[in-house]
Amino acid sequence: MKRRTVLAGMAGTAAAGLALPAQSQQDPFGSKELIAAAEKEGGLTLYTADFAETQQEVIKEFNKRFPKIKVAMVRAPGGQLITRIKTEAAADKLGADVVNHSDRGLMLELVDLFQDYSPPNAADYRPDALVSPKLWPGVTLGWAIAYNTQLVKNAPKTWMDLLKPEYKGKQIGQVIGPSGGTTWTRIMFERQVLGEDYWKRQAELGIALYPSGAPLSDALVRGEVSIAPLLYNIIYTKIVDGAPAEAIFAPEGVPIIPYADGITKASKNPNAARLFMNWRLSKEGQTFMINKLGNITSLKDPPAYPKGWDPKVIKVWVPKFDEFDKLRGAWLEEWNKTYGYRQ
Amino acid sequence: MAAPLWVGALLILLAFLVIYPLLMLFFGAISDSNPVIDGFGKFNPSLTHFIAVLGNENVHLAFFNALVACGGGTILAVVIGLAFSWIVVRTNTPFKGFIAGASMIPLFVPPLVAGVAWSILGSPKTGLLNTALKWMGIDFRFDFYSMSGLILVFGFYYAPYVYMFTASALRNMDPSLEEASEVSGASAFTTIFTITFPLIAPAILAGSLLSFVVMLGIYGVPAALGAPANISVLTTYIFKLTAWAPPLYNTAAAVAILLMFVTAILVWAQQKVLSGKSFATVAGKAFRPRSLNLGPWRWFTFGLALIYLFIVVVLPTIALVIAGFRRFLFFKDFGALFDMKAYSWVHFNSIFDNPLTMTSIWNTMKVGVITALVGGALAFAIGYTVNRTQVGGRRSIDLLSTIPVAIPGLVVGVAYLWAWIGLPGGLYGTIWILALAFVARFIPDTVKALSTSFMQIHKELEEAAWVCGRGLLGTIWTVMLPLARPGIVASMTLLFVLAVRELGSSLFLYTSDTTVMAVLLLDYYEGGNIGKTAAFSLVQTVILAVLLGFTTWLSRGAAEGTARAG
Repeated sequence: MKRRTVLAGMAGTAAAGLALPAQSQQDPFGSKELIAAAEKEGGLTLYTADFAETQQEVIKEFNKRFPKIKVAMVRAPGGQLITRIKTEAAADKLGADVVNHSDRGLMLELVDLFQDYSPPNAADYRPDALVSPKLWPGVTLGWAIAYNTQLVKNAPKTWMDLLKPEYKGKQIGQVIGPSGGTTWTRIMFERQVLGEDYWKRQAELGIALYPSGAPLSDALVRGEVSIAPLLYNIIYTKIVDGAPAEAIFAPEGVPIIPYADGITKASKNPNAARLFMNWRLSKEGQTFMINKLGNITSLKDPPAYPKGWDPKVIKVWVPKFDEFDKLRGAWLEEWNKTYGYRQ
Repeated sequence: MAAPLWVGALLILLAFLVIYPLLMLFFGAISDSNPVIDGFGKFNPSLTHFIAVLGNENVHLAFFNALVACGGGTILAVVIGLAFSWIVVRTNTPFKGFIAGASMIPLFVPPLVAGVAWSILGSPKTGLLNTALKWMGIDFRFDFYSMSGLILVFGFYYAPYVYMFTASALRNMDPSLEEASEVSGASAFTTIFTITFPLIAPAILAGSLLSFVVMLGIYGVPAALGAPANISVLTTYIFKLTAWAPPLYNTAAAVAILLMFVTAILVWAQQKVLSGKSFATVAGKAFRPRSLNLGPWRWFTFGLALIYLFIVVVLPTIALVIAGFRRFLFFKDFGALFDMKAYSWVHFNSIFDNPLTMTSIWNTMKVGVITALVGGALAFAIGYTVNRTQVGGRRSIDLLSTIPVAIPGLVVGVAYLWAWIGLPGGLYGTIWILALAFVARFIPDTVKALSTSFMQIHKELEEAAWVCGRGLLGTIWTVMLPLARPGIVASMTLLFVLAVRELGSSLFLYTSDTTVMAVLLLDYYEGGNIGKTAAFSLVQTVILAVLLGFTTWLSRGAAEGTARAG
């Protein structure tokens, strides 16, 4: 299936042209005027492609600091959310104040629907995590290797370990390549960093394929598969709750997925939206997401690290955005063939 | 005359509910654009999607798989549903009321939940059944991640469709023909196959057609059971198309039209088979539904019913209860199942902690009631016009009201979004747009369910009312409504249940204030939390079970009323 290419190359120029506001660093969330105006608006609507429960936690934490601002949420899977946003916008009925989406390519196509925005701590963010000056990585996720502690005697420690013959016969589960931007980031990393033949060698072991990360994490906990590359946040909350699972970050690198979040031009509560974004992107918001939800961050100086993350050893890997877009169609087709996935 | 006005009004209504969204769908399938975003002006016709779909061997495979799974499932559903309705309506099997009530439970289980429950039970690696077999030292292993698993689950869960149709037909059937057969020396067995089943053929056909088409449109079961075995059917294929980045709605629309084509052929075949035959068995003569004395064999039929109930109700409920109350679904061995420390209310606490839970329950009830009332009234109007009158244009009404059955939910959701978002008056964002979408989507199911009861009511009863000086409305009110009441209650219940379960079209039409349970359930499932998914499905099941009790009570009153009315 051939994919439409997304405005390639725009990213570099956009990131280069980033203008940083001269805002006081005293107040991390915004001026008193902004907070007052936001509280007067009293609420906002968030459209998200993230898990509903995760975003609910974020909203709860935000409300601890700003209890007067009610956040309503609409959640739909990635592609379906984009269709909805496009259609609502075309009919002049876009209900979102803030959109939270993992696919930077798709969001970039919609960039005209978003207003100019940058958070007070804009300068603290990695430039390679941004695709447009209007869209910010309110959420950043990272790939880990998870395993069922009751089933795996000799746990994998690196990405290369996932090629060991002892894990053959559908012990390893994987999310299918074409499932979305997050998985595409990981398999791009595998090929570019771990070797051209990494997919082939792994596919030869016999891999159980899953449509997305959540059912795979569930299958891992149940013991349907023993080992799986998973976004850390998907398995983290289960580990905290006592599930028979563990997750490690591999030394070859942690592919990360910076989201593209923005405030819509149609926003009826622009001040509340701004404050909500400011808080999410602040040190406080990011720290909460790292410690409680298992996120990573796109801040240059991470305020916290997930458990088992040694900053001296573990390096994050961000895909080059132009390649992310350009290689996608052809490489995914090859991936499907290699892993025997019928599209 | 009022007739052309009436037909015109129905046609306009159906055009709004069915044709207009469908045009949007066709528009999407034969172009590269989204009609709302790009406008009709930019219409760029291209057959690329159709050609791509027809030539794609994965579509061929998904198509083939869907036919095998749904065909096999339908055969099983007919066997189970027919046997069951016969046992409940026509025999003296003990505890019939209980069996009748419990046998409808699968209908209330959202397909996603059924799929999840059977994956908990029948997964080849970790399934509860297999863990139990291993513990007992038996080498046999179930594998529900397979085509036969799909067929079994489809057959179990869609048997109530056949049951609903055939049970009400059997209940309304004049037993004098069967008595005649037995007086002439035919055995009970011969009577069943030469008199009873042929007489209720329209109900059997309608039930099996409906269950086949509904299976074709189900996403949850093949998603949970087919995906691990890499068995793809049309719905999972369409879901993939809409979930990819970027979503390929235009291609999905093309696949949907392929699906519609198949269904159209089936509907045509059904009408061909039934045309020119009279199935009127409810006549103006008193009768009492007859029940066959099975002697000691009644314990055998009771046993069969118990086995079915065990497979369809008890086992999956156990699976859901275990999943809903257990913190994690990992069992080292069978003994771990009885480790009480692993059980708690944590999943229930957490779903009721979520403010969306109560909102979604309340919204779902509202949407369900609106859908059942509006849809029930519309279906009655359509069913009566098509089946009981000779007005011009009724064939078109029949055709229009059958179309939506063929459109899979996910695609229908986009079609309604495209069609109705631009309408003035702020329909979008309210409960009403959901209810309207459900009414439109389920017109065929409701009309088909109702028509069966209409077909069985003999014209002579209406003629008697006319002779006595009643007008058309008076006749409907005094004759048709009371006689068709079991059918009406059953159709409205069906509509309510379908509305409560409906996910595909909700996904595009709900807003933060109008979240429904099905959407929230998908959130839990997609969030990878089988515990919360199970807990929330149990909540949903309890709510629906209460309703089921209420309507059983209603239709029982109706059945007695009907017997008296004759």
